[in-house]
Amino acid sequence: MKKNIVFAILVSAGAFLIQHHVPMVQAEEMGPVHSITLPTIPAELKEGAGKDKVMTLCGICHSPDYIPMQPRLPAKTWDSEVHKMIKVFGAPISDEDAKTISSYLAAQYGTDEK
Amino acid sequence: MKSRFFSRRDFLKTSSSIGMITAFGGIPTDLFASEGKLVRFPEKTDLILLTSRPPQLETPKHFFKELITPNEALFVRWHIANIPTSVDLRTWRLKVGGNTERPLELSMDDLKGLPKVTYTAVIQCAGNGRSFFDPRVPGGQWGNGAMGNITWGGVRLKDILAKVGIKGDSVEVAFNGLDSGPLPTVPDLVKSLPVDKALEEDIIIAYEMNGKPLTMLNGFPARLVVPGWYASYWVKALSDVTVLSKPLETFWMDPAYRIPANPCACVPPGTKPGKTVPINRMNTRSLIIEPSEGNRLPAGKEVAISGLAFSGGYGIKDVVVSVDGGKTWKETKLGKDLGKYSWVQWTLPWKPAQKGKHTLMARATNSIGESQPFDRLWNPAGYMLNNIEKVDVIVG
Repeated sequence: MKKNIVFAILVSAGAFLIQHHVPMVQAEEMGPVHSITLPTIPAELKEGAGKDKVMTLCGICHSPDYIPMQPRLPAKTWDSEVHKMIKVFGAPISDEDAKTISSYLAAQYGTDEK
Repeated sequence: MKSRFFSRRDFLKTSSSIGMITAFGGIPTDLFASEGKLVRFPEKTDLILLTSRPPQLETPKHFFKELITPNEALFVRWHIANIPTSVDLRTWRLKVGGNTERPLELSMDDLKGLPKVTYTAVIQCAGNGRSFFDPRVPGGQWGNGAMGNITWGGVRLKDILAKVGIKGDSVEVAFNGLDSGPLPTVPDLVKSLPVDKALEEDIIIAYEMNGKPLTMLNGFPARLVVPGWYASYWVKALSDVTVLSKPLETFWMDPAYRIPANPCACVPPGTKPGKTVPINRMNTRSLIIEPSEGNRLPAGKEVAISGLAFSGGYGIKDVVVSVDGGKTWKETKLGKDLGKYSWVQWTLPWKPAQKGKHTLMARATNSIGESQPFDRLWNPAGYMLNNIEKVDVIVG
C-alpha cells in the first residue's frame, strides 16, 4: 500500500516535471528542410459500453479528446454527429457500430434530454 | 432576452466557483478558457489543449495583455489529421493555375523576389468564443483565445494572379494546403474567395509572422492572409492556388463555415436558418483583459481597466466602458494605432468607491459605425460571437 502511494507520488512528480520543466521545443535552425515532431497526448474517455469502438473507430480520424471537449449534448445531437462522420467524412462505421457509439456518447457525455 | 441572460448568469454564479463549467451544458463564466490543460507543441509555448489530433490549441489569457501576439503563443487550429510536419523548401512549390492564361510554379526564393508587403492584422477563428453560446453548440469549444495580432510579411496575391493571367469567365480562386484527410473519403480542406475579393490589394501570401518564418503549426512555409476576414480562409501550408470558372462546392464551403443570411448572422436560439452565406468579414469586438472575472479590488484605490478591440478591417473609432452594468459609459484611451486590421489596446483608470459587486462592460465601435450587441446572438455553428462582454469584480 505504502509502496503504491510512493509510486503514485513519483509518477505525478514526473508528470509535473515533464509538463512544466521541458524547455520549449525549438525548430531546427532553418535549413532547407523544416521539421517538427508532434507530441503524443493521451486522452481519457469515460468507462462504459462501447468505449472500445469509440477509441478505435472514431480514433481513425481524430483524437478522442474531441468528445470530452464538447458540452453535454442531447442524444439526437450526438447521433447526428456520428452520422456526419459517416456521411460527410466517410468514417468506416457499420450501422450496428454507429448505434453502439451513439449510445455510448449519449450515456457518458449526454444530457437528460432525448 | 436580457433578463434571461442575467438570471442564467446569476444562477451560474451561485452554483459553482469561478471558472470553467462544462457539465450539463453550462456556459463558462470567465471570458477566457481555464488554463488547466496546458500542452507544449513544437515551436509553441504552453497553450490550452482543445484537441491533439489534429491539433487545436488556444492562447492563454495573459498573452492578450500584449499588442503583438508572440509567434509561440498564437492559437493553432487544423481541420483534418494529416498535417504537414516536414517541408523541404528545395522541393516545395506554390502551384498557381486553373482557369488562367498560363500556370506557374513559385519557389520560396521566387516569392521572396516579389515586392514584400508587411502589416499587422488580427487573425481570429470563426468559432472564437463558441463555448459561450447559449444553448451550447457542438464544435471546437474555444474560449476567447482563438485570436491573435500578428505582423504578417508576404507578397500580394494579386501580383501573383497578374503573372498567370486570370481568364475573363473566372468566378472564384481556390486555396489548398499540404494537409490531407486520414482517409481518402475525408473532404480536403480547400477554401475559395470570389475573384473580386481575391484581387483586393491587401490579401497576401505570407511567409513571415512577426519577422520570422511561420511556425509549422501556423502554416509553414506560407499561408493566405485575408485581413479583416475570419481565419477559415487563411489557408495554411499553402500549396495550390487555383482559379475557377465555377464556384467551389465542397463540404468546407457548404455546409461548413456558413452563417445565416441576415445582418446579425443570427437566428432565435435553437432554430435553424433558412438561407445561408459563406462566413466572411469579422464583426467588431472588445474584450476586457484586466481585471478578470471575480477579481477582488481594494476600494478607493485607482486601478486600470484595460483590454483590446478590433473590427473586420475598419479599425476602432472608440471603446467605451461601463463600471455600473451598462447604466453609464466612459470613453477609454486608445493605445498605439497599428492600422485598420490590427487590434488596439484601450485603458480606463477607475477608482472604485462603493464596496460590493461591480459589473464592467466594454463596447467598441469601428470607423464605419459598426458596434456590438448587448445580447449574445446565436447561430447553430457557434460563429461570430461579439456581444458586449461583462466582467464582475468585487470591490472591498
